[in-house]
Amino acid sequence: MGLRRLRQYRMVLLVLCVSLAVSFLAWRHEKDNAQLDLHAALDFNVREVSSRIEQRMAAYEQVLHGAQGLYSVSGEIRREDFAAYVNALQLGPDYAGMQGIGMATVVPASQKDSHVLQMRQAGFAGYDIRAEGLHAMYVPVLQLEPFVGRNLVSLGLDLDSDPRQRTAMDRARDSGNAAISSKLVLAAEKTGAADGNADADTAEFLMYLPVYKAGTQNNTPAARLTNIRGWVFAPFRVRDMMASLYGENQAATDVRIFDGVETTAATLMYDSAPRSRLKHGGQDPERIVSTEYITNGGHAWTLVVSTLPGYGERVGKDKSRLIAVTGAVLSLLLTLLTWQLVTGRERALALARDMTSELRASEARFRYLAQYDELTGLPNRAMFKDRLQHAILQAKRDKTHLALMYLDLDNFKPVNDSLGHHVGDLLLREVAQRMQTCMRESDTVARIGGDEFVVLLPVVEHEEDALLVAEKIRHTLNQPFEIAGGHVLEVSSSTGIVLYPQHGVDEVELSRNADNAMYKAKELGRNMVKMYQRC
Amino acid sequence: MLNPNHLIFTLAAFVMAQAAPAAAQTAVQGGPDCSRTLTLGLHEHGLLYSAKTGAGIDKDIADELARRSGCKINMTLMPRARIWQLIESGALDLSLSGITNEERDKFASFAWYFSNKYYLLVRKDTGVRQLSDFQADGKLRLGVIRAFRYSKNANRLVDALNEEQRVTYSTSLEPLYKVLSSNSIQGMIIEPFDYSQVSNTSIRDFTMIIETRDPSIPHGLIMSNKSLPLKEREKWSALVAEMRTDGTMLRIFNKYFDPQLADSMVNF
Repeated sequence: MGLRRLRQYRMVLLVLCVSLAVSFLAWRHEKDNAQLDLHAALDFNVREVSSRIEQRMAAYEQVLHGAQGLYSVSGEIRREDFAAYVNALQLGPDYAGMQGIGMATVVPASQKDSHVLQMRQAGFAGYDIRAEGLHAMYVPVLQLEPFVGRNLVSLGLDLDSDPRQRTAMDRARDSGNAAISSKLVLAAEKTGAADGNADADTAEFLMYLPVYKAGTQNNTPAARLTNIRGWVFAPFRVRDMMASLYGENQAATDVRIFDGVETTAATLMYDSAPRSRLKHGGQDPERIVSTEYITNGGHAWTLVVSTLPGYGERVGKDKSRLIAVTGAVLSLLLTLLTWQLVTGRERALALARDMTSELRASEARFRYLAQYDELTGLPNRAMFKDRLQHAILQAKRDKTHLALMYLDLDNFKPVNDSLGHHVGDLLLREVAQRMQTCMRESDTVARIGGDEFVVLLPVVEHEEDALLVAEKIRHTLNQPFEIAGGHVLEVSSSTGIVLYPQHGVDEVELSRNADNAMYKAKELGRNMVKMYQRC
Repeated sequence: MLNPNHLIFTLAAFVMAQAAPAAAQTAVQGGPDCSRTLTLGLHEHGLLYSAKTGAGIDKDIADELARRSGCKINMTLMPRARIWQLIESGALDLSLSGITNEERDKFASFAWYFSNKYYLLVRKDTGVRQLSDFQADGKLRLGVIRAFRYSKNANRLVDALNEEQRVTYSTSLEPLYKVLSSNSIQGMIIEPFDYSQVSNTSIRDFTMIIETRDPSIPHGLIMSNKSLPLKEREKWSALVAEMRTDGTMLRIFNKYFDPQLADSMVNF
């Protein structure tokens, strides 16, 4: 039993473990897939942003090509013509990052003074080439249109003094292509904060295109070096450029651009969601980061797109939680079902056992009721009849005598009527018990009616033997009965006796005669025993 | 010993070079249609094209194609991914040194002019001795140019690592060399025209080159099916074939490689 129970529990446990394991695998599979989806979505986002930046840079380059073309068409361009050209470009919000378009020219040290003089005569009285120390060559900013605001300050600034600018200019000169400088933070606008974000807010870069001397062939780096005349350039503010990019930015992502391939606060040029402005400093243990290096104008930027808290929900493909909950519920249901199945047979057997035992009890009861009197527990009429027949046959075979007595309680009806049936029943039960005390084991006493009893003595030697038993019974019944409930009752009995074969040879005759004898006793005054006498 | 064929090619090239200035501005009869300016995308990639010097194999081939066809070809430097996108859409007519695959065959035609193998450039300190070692070590990251495809085994490695988010993308090789130095990535797929950059810099000291065990992959002129009719593409292919047979292509490659390597690349 214990072993079977253990086996059942093991089965249930096994189903629970297997279904939970399957749920776990499905959950993990979905989680992995969702993670792949997140990576793919972020990767797509990186490509999108990188592609938009590239296209924008190409557009910027095209604008500078226009200015470059202006110089290639005409060797000398008047300031007002250049200003008119830039004004005519009508650069709209798509070029929001572009702070202006300018021209910087090569001035050898030998021509520095004449260049300054020329500029002063042109109306810029305070003009000078602003460079620290003496150099063999200067590249001062001649013009930066629109010539307003901050652009005014840049006039005369020697770009060649700044190694970052010089590198970009050299690259543009040598390749003949556009080149961009590394990150530039204008001192005037630097907030002084150590925080890289402050720098990132004002980070700029310059894009250069070379302008060679008109009419020269510049197919080789050497020729380009010889024939360089200056550069058209444009300063760009990264924040404004990024703000004006057309396209949908993915929600809950942080786009950062670093100058070069190092990702430090010092190289940070743009941050769409600075950590310092985010809740919990943007910390997210499930953060995914995608990095791509983009090269524009021969200069590399690092584009880092990382997810912010809530990115998973935005992309919205993660069904792992639903799978986990559903899996757990289904596992429990499956376990319950298994438990029902494995214990079902046992429970059915138990039920069948109960029902069988009930049926058997019921059958036994019916069998008992068919043969015994329910109230007194004495054999009933049917059983008595059977025993009487059997006794007659036996007596006939053995040529012996038997005695049959019919006994009726005197004055029983008043007890029933005055004290109720339940008292009457108790009295009958007591009577039956007392009668049985007067019998031998082979004798039978039975109840055949309300207060009617019969007694069979299967073997009697003499008439007196029967009378003796009958008297004993009568005497016993004459004793007062103490019935539960405090009643003390006194009854008497009238008994008729017949003998076999003297008073009859069959059951019917014997019964009828015994009954007659009993009535005779009643007629003669009750409380007596009367032997049957033929008339 | 002088090869007679080589001599003939050299002479022919010489004659053609003399005639070049006259032909440069006018369309060659029977050649490609030059009624409009054609566009050609260049991408920065080792000896193929350097934005620093504005020179390279692709630039030389492009110049030669312009010269021979008599067409005006506008050359634009752009990322490789964008070149493929524009070739597919028909916004760009030509590009150079491209390899094909099933997908690219649907929108582009190719005129092959050289063939080479791909190699894995890997940091020595990784202990990687073959391609599978790189994939097996989950810590190693590979640097890849966006939209580049390689030979079979190299593609398999890139695709497998990409699924594991172990690929760092770039639009050019230069940043990848830098992050290879700083150990942010540990390997890159390179081609012979990247050798010079590897061997002439400090990269040589901490890296080694591993064979992919793939055969050579042909590279060629990329022609947009959408922007160029079949007949035009055939004419451009014929020009490329001509450059190969007359030795021009070999001469261009000889400028950048030692003769043996140049010969093995062009004569495939």
